[in-house]
Amino acid sequence: MTGISASARVKRPRGGAPLLMALPALLLFGLFALLPMVFVVILSVSKWDGLGDISWAGGANWSHLWNSGVTRHALWLTAKVMIFSWVIQTPISLLLGVFLAGRQRYRALLAAVFFVPLLLSSAAVALAYRNLLDPNFGLTQSLKDGPFDLLAKDWLGNQNLVLFTVIFVISWQFVPFHSLLYQAGVRQIPATMYEAARLDGASTIQQFFFVTLPQLRYTIVTSSTLMLVGSLTYFDVVFIMTGGGPGYSTRLLPLDMYITGFQSHDFGEASAIAVVLVAAGLAISLGLVKFSGFSRMQSQTAGA
Amino acid sequence: MIVFSRKKATLGAALGAVTLFAAACGSSGPSGSGGGGGASAWALTGGSQSTFQVSQKNWNAANAKDKVSYQFYANDAYKQKVRVAIGANDAPVLFENWGGGSLKDYANAGKLEALTPSLTAAVKAKYLPSVVNVASFGGQLYGVPINGTQPVVLYYNKDLFAKVGAQPPKTWDDLMALVPKFKAAGIAPLSLAGGSKWPDLMYLEYLVDRIGGPTVFQNIVDGKPGAWSDPAVIKAGQMIHQLVSAGAFANGYQSITYDAGQSSALLYTGKAAMQLMGSWDYAVIQAAQSDFVKSGKLAWTNFPTVTGGQGDPADIVGNPANYFSVTKSSTAVEKASAEKYLKDGVMDGAYVDDLLKNGNVPPVNGLESKLAAAPNAPWLTYQYDLVKNAPSYQLSWDQALSSSAGDSLLTNLDQLFLKKITPQQFAQNMSKVGK
Amino acid sequence: MMSLLTERRQRQLAAQPDRLANKTRPRRRVGNVPGALFSLMWLGIVIVPLYWMVITSLRTQNGFFDGSPLAWPKHPTLDNYRTVLDNDFWRYLMNSVIVTVGGVGLTLAVSLMAAYAIVRSKRRFVRGTFNLFLLGLAIPLQATIIPIYYMIVKLHLYDTLLALVLPSAAFAVPITVVILTNFLRDVPGELFESMHVEGAGEWRMLFSLAIPLVRPAITTVAVYDALQIWNGFLFPLILTQSPDLRVLPLALFDFQGQFTVNVPAIIASVVLSTLPILALYIVGRRQLVSGLTAGFGK
Repeated sequence: MTGISASARVKRPRGGAPLLMALPALLLFGLFALLPMVFVVILSVSKWDGLGDISWAGGANWSHLWNSGVTRHALWLTAKVMIFSWVIQTPISLLLGVFLAGRQRYRALLAAVFFVPLLLSSAAVALAYRNLLDPNFGLTQSLKDGPFDLLAKDWLGNQNLVLFTVIFVISWQFVPFHSLLYQAGVRQIPATMYEAARLDGASTIQQFFFVTLPQLRYTIVTSSTLMLVGSLTYFDVVFIMTGGGPGYSTRLLPLDMYITGFQSHDFGEASAIAVVLVAAGLAISLGLVKFSGFSRMQSQTAGA
Repeated sequence: MIVFSRKKATLGAALGAVTLFAAACGSSGPSGSGGGGGASAWALTGGSQSTFQVSQKNWNAANAKDKVSYQFYANDAYKQKVRVAIGANDAPVLFENWGGGSLKDYANAGKLEALTPSLTAAVKAKYLPSVVNVASFGGQLYGVPINGTQPVVLYYNKDLFAKVGAQPPKTWDDLMALVPKFKAAGIAPLSLAGGSKWPDLMYLEYLVDRIGGPTVFQNIVDGKPGAWSDPAVIKAGQMIHQLVSAGAFANGYQSITYDAGQSSALLYTGKAAMQLMGSWDYAVIQAAQSDFVKSGKLAWTNFPTVTGGQGDPADIVGNPANYFSVTKSSTAVEKASAEKYLKDGVMDGAYVDDLLKNGNVPPVNGLESKLAAAPNAPWLTYQYDLVKNAPSYQLSWDQALSSSAGDSLLTNLDQLFLKKITPQQFAQNMSKVGK
Repeated sequence: MMSLLTERRQRQLAAQPDRLANKTRPRRRVGNVPGALFSLMWLGIVIVPLYWMVITSLRTQNGFFDGSPLAWPKHPTLDNYRTVLDNDFWRYLMNSVIVTVGGVGLTLAVSLMAAYAIVRSKRRFVRGTFNLFLLGLAIPLQATIIPIYYMIVKLHLYDTLLALVLPSAAFAVPITVVILTNFLRDVPGELFESMHVEGAGEWRMLFSLAIPLVRPAITTVAVYDALQIWNGFLFPLILTQSPDLRVLPLALFDFQGQFTVNVPAIIASVVLSTLPILALYIVGRRQLVSGLTAGFGK
């Protein structure tokens, strides 16, 4: 019996219909995602101001990119955001996910409320927070001289604080998603493992570190992959909330690209920045995919 | 076996097709007056918006074949929007602009339609010459003034000044002396929308003019080597740093944008004592809190003089006017309608009256008697005299220079106001930028 | 042992990843004090801004400047909502609906076919496109915006809703294909074989067998794609300009300039723009949540 199932799965159909089926997706994706990638490389060695014609520029954009330091700074900022996002969001999501996997009565209500920030568009979140954190009329400012005076800082104007404000707002929006992943992951852990650990005399905390965490390894990788690759492309929230400022303090890579292209009208250099963005994205993705063996997608019912 | 509902699939496909069709048809480009006459116009929200709306209503009622349709945009994103639209050849027939170098960019790229000789003659006769010149390049006229002339003045809150027992500053030293006085009373001396960057420019423009006179900037525009390193520019930068170090600007100035209105709100909610801003702000404040204006709490004065400076204290900076220009990509019929509106609709009697009502002064010849009879007469006469008596009326630098130079200027200025670069570095960075 | 997974069982599996936990709940959860404390704190962090948004939207423009921001407004008013609704809100909502439905529809159509092809094709080239789409997950949308802008202009699609549908769908294709392929791989080959023996062609098998079997996955990925496209901001920002073609996120951004200091009105528009999704969430919460975890858990 088993023999038939194995070979039945391997047998492939005849006919060329499948090729035709794959074509539309390939065309759509190719035209609007792959082709632009090629263009971006071409544009990165060209000169275009959006009004006139495109002309050859050679390595001028790239050398200016390197020398001006603005893009290097943007890279550094982006790296900071990536790392801190992960450092802040993962533990929070883990804790919440573990807690929400429990059986408390109000757990479902909590989970429902926690999920709401994810439903808001980034534009909505950014606008709301921009007004909430207004240095003169916002919520945080009104807390001055009160019990929460610590919160009454200039979150958007202080160049040392603003990056963390951005990270906080992004975390506020995306923690629900990751805690959801962890919640599902925790639910998959069989209770027998905890029984065994308890019999061995492990405390609650030890159970967390020696049972829960190792079992969540796969979920951690998934969540981290999505988080890291996603944080490379944060644009909406930052653009609406700070516009990349004050000064250059929140000018992340995607913002640097947008500002260079659509505000300074230097589409050649902006394309060079775009190439950097793509290269970084690919590097991280490939690295993480290799690390986690994601591509070896096996059916979960294999061997049933 | 499982039977998949063919019906559902066809229904789904049909729905999808209809949606895509709707999407494709959902294109109302700005130059869409159905192939007939009429002109689309892009303008800014804020000070003159209501005047444009009134004009649209009156004009369209009397000129069914040449209807004009306005669309309004907020200031900060407007310049990029226009540029992108013109670059995509999907621009409106008329668009509001500030003249100067940034308009010249479009002319040089062949995107503008020069005004016909008859219209040019009419415009030259009607409007103040200094204002008309800002939209002329290469002997051709490319714009018609559409709103009030907009000098930059120092607004202040009379109540707050009375509270600390102070007088509006006449010299720079007066201003610096006021800073600790207001701060001690828990009031921000100056409100500044640093997040938008262009309000910073007003300080630089006035200071450079007061210290070195208008030739300093003229050298910059002419591209003379070392123009940016003129001692007047450096000194102005140092004085700006003085202000920042003294904490003269309201809390959070680095992130406050003008469009969100908070910087002006600081003035009329009693949180800040002064704001250096263009004359359009009067209408904005009037719309947001008319009582503040009616009760006379809003007051204004010239930018302080600098002791030992070479500039004439009567010099002013600002926007001589905003203009409408005609895009080349419009059809001939649209251009004809546009020109008709520019000649007979813009700045007709009712239009001028409406501008005056909102505290704007149209740059039209022979306005004195009307001004005296208008509401807001003190404000209007102050402005008109200011403009009439000014030996030099400097166009905002980010508009006077080309688009890319203007952008670099704003970015560097932002850094200067954040004290991230020194005045010398500022001059150095600007020297490297092409014209 | 060979097990013939019926359609019903497939759906059960996909929709309830926690069926294990239901039977074997570990008891130690009851005493998760640090977790409970932290969750309470996070609850505060989530609720306070949301509460502030609702309250602020009920204030009058002048009332915004006096009084404590967290206190209930002295003269609560629905005027701000009226203002927003009067300012073409319905049109922006409709635009968002058109772009989202169009985008999701297009994505699903092409991705279903592609996923089927990847799983069923004997050509390595076709199967290999899976890796292409996997790699495509890494392409940042922002990086391609300049060439897409250029292409859209040249195709004379600038400032149309179609200009939003096509790129949005294109970028939703990779994740959709990946997830659908995953689910499709769970379908035992012998099901296809038996249909094939009965004389069905590939297309027939796609419609009659594959699609019904992965319906839960389709719902999952459709919801995910819809959320992404509905909240999309960059494409509308760059590829459209007419006010009547604005989608909700862009309208929010532009409202800010229109209403200048009327913060309550701006916040009211934020709240209004969220209501459609919130309504859908309340109605379809279970489906959405369980679907999301099933999809990404693989």
